[in-house]
Amino acid sequence: MKDIEQYLRENKPVVKEDPTFLLETRHRLEAVEGIKGEVDRQSCRMRKALILALVFGLIVGVGVATLAYFFPVNPETVGDGLLDSARLFLQNYRSYLFLPIALLAIALGLVMTRKKGTAFI
Amino acid sequence: MNQERFISLVKAEQEPLRRFLLGLCCGDDALADDIAQDALVRAYVASANFLGLSKFSTWLFRIAYNCYIDHCRKPGKDYASLESREALSVQSGDASDASFHYQQLYQALDRIPEKEKAAIVLFYFEDKSVKEISAILGIPAGTVKYHLSCGRGHLKEHISL
Repeated sequence: MKDIEQYLRENKPVVKEDPTFLLETRHRLEAVEGIKGEVDRQSCRMRKALILALVFGLIVGVGVATLAYFFPVNPETVGDGLLDSARLFLQNYRSYLFLPIALLAIALGLVMTRKKGTAFI
Repeated sequence: MNQERFISLVKAEQEPLRRFLLGLCCGDDALADDIAQDALVRAYVASANFLGLSKFSTWLFRIAYNCYIDHCRKPGKDYASLESREALSVQSGDASDASFHYQQLYQALDRIPEKEKAAIVLFYFEDKSVKEISAILGIPAGTVKYHLSCGRGHLKEHISL
């Protein structure tokens, strides 16, 4: 009597010849390539935008800190205008300016050292 | 891994892969081929993570098995029973001799647990070693042997030799 092992070995399923299978696979892979390319392009655009925003923030931050430290306003002669009030406010809290500047610098460093094509989000 | 290299590797593995899925899908070749295509796309997307620590076929079969499991877990999946599929093929008149020949085997495979079915299909149809099956199914070798033994026992109940 044939045992179950012999039966299974003798009855291996036969796969139908399908020449379109690999063709279909190739089409799907090409579609995947297209999607990957689009994702890479979007990622690259996001990376550039992020770097620009961080550099801009860093420049503005350093500029504001420079103004606050090297061109102090005299509280007695300062006017009531919005710009003067802002300058006075920044001067009073100028030591805290280094925190956002440091954060921006760290973020920029991380983005610049990150492998190209890696998604940020 | 570029597309051409991937295709060349797949060329050698497509028949065993499709046969493995055909066994898991109990003879539903359209479903087996659909899952095979999904598995190949997944494998291609993840091909950068293939470090060559295992054989390409083992890695590919593992992905295919995961695709099959995902398919089985899909809520409201339209997975017709073997009886209804048989009826459909008889009605359409395209029931080949081959599919008739395997009816008893597929019916029996349809009635045993998934892990046992996978172990049986890999061991007897694909001639994979217990170690390879263990890597593909993500279970210890001892458990593979247990599933093989149970699977044989369960199949004996449904197959008249």
